[in-house]
Amino acid sequence: MIRPEVLEKFTSIFGSQRCKTAKEDLLTYAYDAYIRECIPDAVIFPKSSQEVSEIMRIASAENLFVTPRGAGSGLVGDALAKRGGIVLCFTMMNRILEINAANRYGIVEPGVVIAEFQKEVERCNLFYPPDPGSAAVATMGGAVATNAGGMRGVKYGVTRDYLLGLEIVLPSGDIMTTGSVTAKDVTGYDLTRLMCGSEGTLAVVTRIIVRLLPKPQTKRTLQAVYDQIDKAGTTVSRIIESGIVPAALELMDKTVIRALEDFAHLGLPLDAEAVLLMDVDGDPDTVEKQAAAVAGFCREQGAREVRVSGSEKDNEQLWAARRSAFGAVARMRPNCLIEDATVPVSHLTSAIKKVIEIGQRNDVLIAVLAHAGDGNLHPLILCDQRDTDEMRRVQKSMDEIVDYALSVGGTLSGEHGIGIAKSKYLPKQLSETSLNVMRAVKKLFDPQGILNPGGFLKDEQS
Amino acid sequence: MISEQLREEVHKCIKCGLCMNACPVYKQLYFEAASPRGKVQLIRKVLEGDLEPSAHFHDIMFTCLLCENCSVNCPSGLKVDRLMKAMRAELERKFGLRWQKRMVLQLLGSSRLLPFAMFWGRVFRPSVMSLFARDGKVGTIPYAKIPLINSVPLIRQYPGTISPDGRQRGRVLYFTGCATNYFFENVGESVIAVLKRLGVEVILPKDQMCCGLPIFLSGAREMALHNIRHNLRILDTSEVDAVVVDCATCGAALKKEYVHILEEMGEDTRAATAVAGKVMDIAQYLVRFDLAGHLGPVQGRVTYHDPCHLVRSQAVREEPRRLLKMIPKLEFVEMSGSDTCCGGGGTFQWEHPDIALGITKKKLMAIAETQANLVASGCPGCRLQICGNLESQIPQVVHPVELLAKSMDNADE
Repeated sequence: MIRPEVLEKFTSIFGSQRCKTAKEDLLTYAYDAYIRECIPDAVIFPKSSQEVSEIMRIASAENLFVTPRGAGSGLVGDALAKRGGIVLCFTMMNRILEINAANRYGIVEPGVVIAEFQKEVERCNLFYPPDPGSAAVATMGGAVATNAGGMRGVKYGVTRDYLLGLEIVLPSGDIMTTGSVTAKDVTGYDLTRLMCGSEGTLAVVTRIIVRLLPKPQTKRTLQAVYDQIDKAGTTVSRIIESGIVPAALELMDKTVIRALEDFAHLGLPLDAEAVLLMDVDGDPDTVEKQAAAVAGFCREQGAREVRVSGSEKDNEQLWAARRSAFGAVARMRPNCLIEDATVPVSHLTSAIKKVIEIGQRNDVLIAVLAHAGDGNLHPLILCDQRDTDEMRRVQKSMDEIVDYALSVGGTLSGEHGIGIAKSKYLPKQLSETSLNVMRAVKKLFDPQGILNPGGFLKDEQS
Repeated sequence: MISEQLREEVHKCIKCGLCMNACPVYKQLYFEAASPRGKVQLIRKVLEGDLEPSAHFHDIMFTCLLCENCSVNCPSGLKVDRLMKAMRAELERKFGLRWQKRMVLQLLGSSRLLPFAMFWGRVFRPSVMSLFARDGKVGTIPYAKIPLINSVPLIRQYPGTISPDGRQRGRVLYFTGCATNYFFENVGESVIAVLKRLGVEVILPKDQMCCGLPIFLSGAREMALHNIRHNLRILDTSEVDAVVVDCATCGAALKKEYVHILEEMGEDTRAATAVAGKVMDIAQYLVRFDLAGHLGPVQGRVTYHDPCHLVRSQAVREEPRRLLKMIPKLEFVEMSGSDTCCGGGGTFQWEHPDIALGITKKKLMAIAETQANLVASGCPGCRLQICGNLESQIPQVVHPVELLAKSMDNADE
């Protein structure tokens, strides 16, 4: 609990519009896109680094827990106030400070929505590739904290690959910068990347410098339909072997296909086992050649139907299926948990089959989407969280998926993060030595343990 | 109480947050309680008994345009707007309405008082305005921009049955709505002129009342029931092709909301369903005709704003555009975000002028970018909001059917 005098102090600094303590408001910050709820004691909306610094100074003096939050679209509970305290919400600190075409970088405040930044960047004929499924709502700060990925990961990498520098506020309230605007920078430890994916446990990010690319000139989309999931799998391998790097390479399994047809009637065959959706981008000549080659691989590996888009509008139509996929599947049951265990790409097909088998054996409905090009599975686990028996089976399925991914050299999480959803699995992947190093790092940045407690790295008290 | 079926809706929310991007109010305020996801969470807490429906909760429920953009963008298909509307009805029972709002709604609910008020409202315009206004404005709209009241209500200007020119090709009931009847007579005149010319007999029910939408969306469902029952009784659809409406809001009420409300109140829905099946927006009705031979040139550049109650409540998107594009010489240009709410939201702009103004400014910017001298939109609320906040006389805001009527006039010259 926060002492009333301290709450009053926050209210006097930020006003009631930017320091919310009413029950109604707190209840709306009790959730993110994970299924757990934790009610904070206050929600504060800073608008500058100085304000964040001031909040952190008071918080460390008072030993208050502080949990940074962007749009709250995270899937693992990392933006929840697991032990109460303050939620530090960045949605009102949302200016794009600079888009520098000459040096190809952009500087933003953490509350900027990813898709809005991308739109602005593209107006300057530049390109910011990281494109998580939640880009329309998720913030740049959240993307840094979770090292968000997305569909373009296969060719363009993830948030980490675009970070040049940060301004951060330490739990003590001290403000520091990491990195710079230059493309190369080896001055000191790479603290920028240490922050990236740290889920708000080390410091609070208040300013972000990202690298920008020239916008690809053109893009073609291909869709291939398969009777057997193995054939889709061998196509993926064939494309990767060939040296072509598609800008996106997505797979949908039969449960997704059926849900899509029920909901959106896009003309996909109901007896298909898998659909691949692929983008190739670049200059027009290369794109033509690559599209033809990829279409050839699909046919050669036994696709029963291959469609190649002829225009930007066609691209959009083909992508409609993938874009509607989550919605179509999500409406099958009240809750939808999105897993993201990731395997080496050569294990993709067997991993998908394994996930389907795990679902069937545990009597849990699982639809599988995958960023196939980088081995990142998205099993969509459908359930009703009010059914405790079903949730027990869901938990068991998730345990088994994690165990399988680790057994083939994969990872717990490709892009969603650990949070509270996966913290119990952490020792399965990380050695005691590794965990100890991480704990020491945490201790160095946050000796009092006030920043995002109770998540990610479980501290000794838990 | 909120119906069982609607109560189940709250469990569909998976908190993905995609509604936040779709919500014009959230994009002004940037905190969760302003967002659809936050509101669904709070409704859920109230339904589960974890939260008292407090005054603060009441304010949150009314800080919403009911533009329905969240509902159409929800991946889980959650009907956020229906949940909100039902919750408002619950709240109205507990908190009642502000006196000014109650007065306006009671006028709309009365077939005798409304014409009376409109008559005297025309005479004593300034003093009537001051009842609702702050700083010379009603919500975001300055006095001077509030349209004048028709000298005679439209319905009294025409006979009950208006015969078509030439061979008869159709027969419709025309539900004018209050806005056309009392304020925008030119829209009504245009509807009638266009239909007449196309050979459609127009039946104008003299005793039609306000559709009731402003009443029931404020939560006063019991009060609205009178209007709903009355309108369903007088709309005899057995011998007409369609019930034509020129107002997006009336269309939404007749086509959708009546059935929902009666259903949720446990009333008989048969009459409402029958009427709903016949209701057509004027644009929807007109695209069925071969108009080409009737149209003359209209000079200008027009852009189109999609009213929430048309594009989302009724899924009418293409028809008004098709009409506009048919008009010779008239250049059609899309604005960006044409289906984003204008910020009016009925009484919303009156109760939350600051939020409304932020939303409206974005709309005005999108309009300005098109460099159009005409903005067409089939909703009197949008018209009032856009026109009321424009700083100059250009662009002019019109109903698509007014341009169509003008085009037909020009064909004869």
